[in-house]
Amino acid sequence: MAGSGPVSSPDPIAQLLVSFREESARGVSSRAEFEALKGRYLGREKGLVPALFLGVRELPPEERAGYGARANAAKREIEEGIARLGETLARAESERRERTAAVDVTLPGRRTRAGSLHPVTLVRRRIEEIFLRMGYSIADGPEIESDFHNFEALNFPPEHPARDAQDTLFLDRKAESPLLLRTHTSPVQIREMRKRGAPLKIIAPGRVYRNESVDATHQPVFHQVEALVVDKEISMADLKGTVEAFFGALFGAGTRVRIIPTFFPFVEPGADVQMGCLFCNGAGCRTCKGSGWMEIAGAGEVHPAVLRACGIDPEEWSGFAFGLGLDRVAMMLYEFPDLRLLFEGDERFLSQLAPLS
Amino acid sequence: MKFSLDWLGDHVTLPDAGAPDSVRRLLDRAGLPVESVEEAHGVVVFDVEITPNRPDAMNHRGLAREIAAMSGAAFPNASGKSVGELPSEGPPAHELSSVEIQVPGLCRRFGARVVRGVRSAGSSERVRGRLASIGAKTIDAVVDATNYALWDIGQPLHAFDLDRLRGGRIVVRRAKKGEKLTTLDGVERELEPGDVVVADAARAVSLAGIMGGLETAVTGKTTNVLLEAAWWDPVAIRRTSRRLGMHTDASHRFERGADPESIPEALDLAASLLLAAAGGILAPGRIDARGRPFARRRAVLRLTRLRLLSGDDRLDLDFAAEALSRLGFSIAKRGGKRRTVEIPSFRGDVSIEEDLVEEVLRVWGYDRLPSRLPLTAGAGGHFEPLRLVEEKLADEAVAAGFHETFSYPFVDRQADESSFSAWLEATGTAKAPLSVANPVDASRRDLRATLLPGLLDAVSRNFRHGAHGVALFEVGRAFGGDGDVSRPETFESRRFAFAIGGDARPHWSAPVASRAADFFDVKGLVERLLEPWADPRRLVWKPFAADAFATGAAARCEVGDGRLLAVAGIVGEDERERRRLPERVCVAEILVEAIPRERRPARYVGYSAFPPIVADLSFAHPRDLAWEKLEALARKLDLRDLESFALLDRYEGPGVGEGEVKTTIRLTFRSAERTLEQAEVSRERDRLAAALGDELAVRF
Repeated sequence: MAGSGPVSSPDPIAQLLVSFREESARGVSSRAEFEALKGRYLGREKGLVPALFLGVRELPPEERAGYGARANAAKREIEEGIARLGETLARAESERRERTAAVDVTLPGRRTRAGSLHPVTLVRRRIEEIFLRMGYSIADGPEIESDFHNFEALNFPPEHPARDAQDTLFLDRKAESPLLLRTHTSPVQIREMRKRGAPLKIIAPGRVYRNESVDATHQPVFHQVEALVVDKEISMADLKGTVEAFFGALFGAGTRVRIIPTFFPFVEPGADVQMGCLFCNGAGCRTCKGSGWMEIAGAGEVHPAVLRACGIDPEEWSGFAFGLGLDRVAMMLYEFPDLRLLFEGDERFLSQLAPLS
Repeated sequence: MKFSLDWLGDHVTLPDAGAPDSVRRLLDRAGLPVESVEEAHGVVVFDVEITPNRPDAMNHRGLAREIAAMSGAAFPNASGKSVGELPSEGPPAHELSSVEIQVPGLCRRFGARVVRGVRSAGSSERVRGRLASIGAKTIDAVVDATNYALWDIGQPLHAFDLDRLRGGRIVVRRAKKGEKLTTLDGVERELEPGDVVVADAARAVSLAGIMGGLETAVTGKTTNVLLEAAWWDPVAIRRTSRRLGMHTDASHRFERGADPESIPEALDLAASLLLAAAGGILAPGRIDARGRPFARRRAVLRLTRLRLLSGDDRLDLDFAAEALSRLGFSIAKRGGKRRTVEIPSFRGDVSIEEDLVEEVLRVWGYDRLPSRLPLTAGAGGHFEPLRLVEEKLADEAVAAGFHETFSYPFVDRQADESSFSAWLEATGTAKAPLSVANPVDASRRDLRATLLPGLLDAVSRNFRHGAHGVALFEVGRAFGGDGDVSRPETFESRRFAFAIGGDARPHWSAPVASRAADFFDVKGLVERLLEPWADPRRLVWKPFAADAFATGAAARCEVGDGRLLAVAGIVGEDERERRRLPERVCVAEILVEAIPRERRPARYVGYSAFPPIVADLSFAHPRDLAWEKLEALARKLDLRDLESFALLDRYEGPGVGEGEVKTTIRLTFRSAERTLEQAEVSRERDRLAAALGDELAVRF
């Protein structure tokens, strides 16, 4: 080869490739180094790669094509090499960033604070759900009641000893029908029957009051739920089937339930609903006083005087009612020892049952 | 009530040779459940629960009748016959004494027998042993004889020293105003005209049906005894016994209704025991004074009704007649599908057909009844709407990390609620509290007018037990106000209250300084709770002051029309000290009934497909410039394409002047039709900035 310029010197393309390959093999350790390398080779103004194309015009026409092709190949190789270097660098940088943001996965997580419903509310809702599935409606009444709704309409005559069983808290307001804190949820029966007439299929959960001193098994404030069904030909057999279905749903299939006669002024015939003792399984223990059975609800056929007081003709309609204490059911279901826990507001008690219920 | 198995055996042959378990099962089935079985000195004693409608079962013969009815044994058995004709001599009773009933409605029968010449003695071993086995006191032959008759056949009796009855005669009348009587227990009683007394010619000598008088009681010196057995009006006895706080074996039975037919045999039984133990001579004849006569009582039992109420078609009238006759009833008339039943005098609790059905079913056995589910739709599903509101509120509070608690509603208005009196005023319950006339605890006789004090006490207890953060809520009723006594519900107000104290955000990653509960925890929860019914942006928060709250750190929350919905605030330092609350506590109470009844509709609202442009503004202003004013100004300017206006940051501290605060707000702009240009957004932001500077003098 003869002549001046690029032709006379050693092949510049090969030289550039040799030096690029060396440099790229060394790699870059920082973004700045990468940018410097990229500028040196590919920089628009002074880059080594653009420089390769500067002398092309001066070449003899027959050499131009060959030179051009080689220069383009070199350019491609260098561009790709730099892109690879860039990717490697970005990966390294991202790894570095993530390493600094790494977490101690064994540190405590940020859990949403879990609240809880009161154990009696849990039981109430469970009972409501059972009855709702059986097609009952949910009714409600005031906690302050008149003697009329709480006693008289429920067939408790004035001055009757049956009232003694319900130590009543009276209010100090003068009223034709004395005001009191309701001693049971049964006045809701009266209110609903007077309001809606027959047929009727309701439950009435709520808070009730008695003049009782506080101890492990007595509270002046507690909770009941009352069920009432009135229609044509509602019998003791309906009552029996209903309490069996209900207590089976609440305490589990296989729960033994029986009814025995008893007296409440607002039902006739009257019944005590008893459940096989949960503690001794019917063998007889202290809790069930050796009988193997525990009283769990009061029940019976709605007394005709009660129906009449609500404007319902007992010759045409009959009904059953039963009521039970929610606090005691909660105690049995969750096995806590003392009713006072229900009113102490201690989060250690309130919070432990809900997540598992 | 205690019963000796041996004694029951006098009247009935017990099943399985008197095996206690067998007797117990029968009594349970009869509705006379045995509470306990005790055995002492070879005697088995049952404690039986007897409901107040069954005074007839409150004696051994009555309980034996139940056992016989359930077991099918004969009643009474051979040994259970009456004492028969007693030997008597001398002047007849009606010559030795007389009885005049002045209150024929209250004393419908008064029987008496006279025994002369008794000597002071104890009663027989057998009588003493029996009485002791059931826990009854034994005193002397006379008193033991009357007590034995009471526990044997149920009729209470009283014995007078005949020689101490002035005029030797008995007058049954109402007490005179101011009349006094010292009863057997040695207490002088002041009587009222509502009380019925047994008097002699001069004075009251016995509180009828409750307790005898001391002056005419039998003593060791008594020689002539007048035995009384009477029937007293239950209501009159109950009134007097309650008024005087005297509950005796006699009053217990008379209040529930005694059997007028047992009077003669009770007199004979007591007299025979007395004669046997203390000697003496029985005067012939009984005095048997009558007040208003007792009517024969009957009720009809129809087959249809028996089957309908029981749900058991296997029952028929033959079984019913048999069951009833075992219980002492008799059939007065037979119809095709009905029986007219004569009710025995000892069953005052039975009067209607349903009562007869129960009697038949007791003998049939409730356990034999079929069971089925009622075929009824009822009146269709209805729900008390406020219950659903309360349920929703409770669920939200639980989701927010609060625990539901219950407090007693009994408070002392002065001690517990006076620091909340401004809140009571606002809710119309500030006037005299509603109080319990016969409170469980005399120091807490008022019914709560707000749930907040009870909640604070619960928070305090949790702190004392070592909790660092407490979050509680209660759903319940507050009481008071100007209710209408004929509509008791008007004295109640439904409330939903909650409290949060100490660490509200206890995670280690939160700076310690930002963990404590503050006003915005409770305000935020009130907003969240009410959101289904009231748009939080429409709630109006106005400063509110009550002693219980920290100054300037409480608010009342109203809906648009000015209706009061809630109060929220930080508990003040005095209140915290009083209730022992070491950490800051914030509380709120919502008036559930004030929540708008209609829920806000849940309906889809379209949203823009174009990107938002965000612009922030920071400025300084005095601390007392309310955020509400900034918001109102922004609203007034009606910035074009403004999507939201939010508080991004508030800063007080180095770099901001004393009493000043630096506020940063974030404006988000977005158009529903196109992508906005930065320039138009900046123009709107600058318009707001200028207005803030001009109208509210904030500094940028």
